[in-house]
Amino acid sequence: MTALILTLKPPVTTKIDCRLLTPQHLAQKTLAEIKAMRLSQHLIVADVFDVTGENVNQIIFKQATHSLDYVGYQMKSGQITVEGDAGDFIGAAMQGGVLICKGSVGERAGDSMRRGMLLIEGDAGEYCASSMKAGTLGVLGNTGARLGFGMKRGTLLLAQTPTLQATWLDCGWHTLPFLNILYQSFKTLDTRFATLTQMRVQRWMGDVSGLGKAEILVLA
Amino acid sequence: MNINGVHIDDTFAEAFNMRGTRVIITALNLKWAYNAANAMTGFATSVIGCGVEAGIERELTPDETPDGRPGVAVLMFAMGSKVLMQQLETRMGQCILTCPTAAAFSGIASDDQISLGKHLRYFGDGNQVSKLIPDANGVNQRYWRIPVMDGEFLTQETTGMVRAIGGGNFLVLGQSQPQVLAACEAAIEAMKKIPNVIMPFPGGVVRSGSKVGSKYPKLFASTNDAFCPTLKGVVNTELDMDIESVMEIVIDGLTFEDIALSMKVGIEAACHLGASAGIKRISAGNYGGKLGQHHFKLQPILQGNLAGATSA
Repeated sequence: MTALILTLKPPVTTKIDCRLLTPQHLAQKTLAEIKAMRLSQHLIVADVFDVTGENVNQIIFKQATHSLDYVGYQMKSGQITVEGDAGDFIGAAMQGGVLICKGSVGERAGDSMRRGMLLIEGDAGEYCASSMKAGTLGVLGNTGARLGFGMKRGTLLLAQTPTLQATWLDCGWHTLPFLNILYQSFKTLDTRFATLTQMRVQRWMGDVSGLGKAEILVLA
Repeated sequence: MNINGVHIDDTFAEAFNMRGTRVIITALNLKWAYNAANAMTGFATSVIGCGVEAGIERELTPDETPDGRPGVAVLMFAMGSKVLMQQLETRMGQCILTCPTAAAFSGIASDDQISLGKHLRYFGDGNQVSKLIPDANGVNQRYWRIPVMDGEFLTQETTGMVRAIGGGNFLVLGQSQPQVLAACEAAIEAMKKIPNVIMPFPGGVVRSGSKVGSKYPKLFASTNDAFCPTLKGVVNTELDMDIESVMEIVIDGLTFEDIALSMKVGIEAACHLGASAGIKRISAGNYGGKLGQHHFKLQPILQGNLAGATSA
């Protein structure tokens, strides 16, 4: 089965709430039913996306821009790939599966995320991983202010050194064996994360204004 | 039946149903993987006194292990699932958690999962970290990262438990102790190349074969006097006068065919030395066929009939 492809129709002038475009919401739906799904009061899927393919466990957003909010919201399984950029709240409240964004994302990526893997190849906006409960969030580009605000548990894997914050505590440099297992899982995915081999990381723990059991791992 | 002048008895080894598991132990290098695995499989020769029978199955190259480090595969067998679970947890805690750089992973797939690091994680005192990471098939596997003094102890949460067989065996009878030991060493070297089996006794060889019962009421097993060469004149012996030493190789394995194959290559290696090297007979230990669920008949096995060598 070919992946379900949602190609954004230019030009887009408004924000588009994509929270219903996840594997669990699209399961058992025909292509016609998916096209007719209502995204907001005045918008159905077919208004903004060309829809092709059939495998709802493999969803690809093409020609994506920052206008797409809530991509992968509460997704539980399967894989979503964003070819391009995404807006705010990508992977928010995510509960499983793999979500890859090949471009940059807006604010609050992975907000309240509980499980799964969110991989952002570009930059992430402010409040990335805010209130994250668990799971793995990777960012190859730069991250905005207030990174990991209120983050409770989970792993934030960064390729670039973030701005220092008072509520994150430096635990030093380490070679962590589990990273090899994580990297091997990346190798099964079509993402630049598959090229990571660096086992040595600087570990920060926080956000100590709250539970403080989360970690930021910064690649050397 | 005769191989290279060595007589093969028309008898069988009697073996039992067991529960088994495989754990993959990795470390910074092979030396420390062996240190961990040797500790974990220490004092695990017989379920009678040790709870489990365990051994190192084989070495693993870095591309065969989950974390890309050198490692070894350990097989562990017990008479029941409860004992196996208890022993695995204890040995994980005392032998793998404690060993510098060591990590532990599931080595066998099964619907029955038993704890590897599931409870050991509490050693982290709240600082343990759970990671759910998809494997090559996209199936999520849970790992625990436990902070320890050398860095992090990494362990998978569970490993599989499968039905297995323990107690396959054969006896090597020869003219002298050194000659029988040499034959057993040759057999063990050959048997180590067979997957899915272990020979749990020291060096793979046991010299104190036992019979059921004893003249002492509190003992349920005692020396196998019929095969003790120094008692030839006073007991109902199984030995001719030219047999001066008998040693046994015990095999535990995941399937009947695995054990049968290891017995075949082991006996053939022992017989390769031949009668000229003092090896006279190959026999096997059994309890009259009444106790064990599996009978490994020596002659059919040596004729290549691995699957059909049972009468149980």
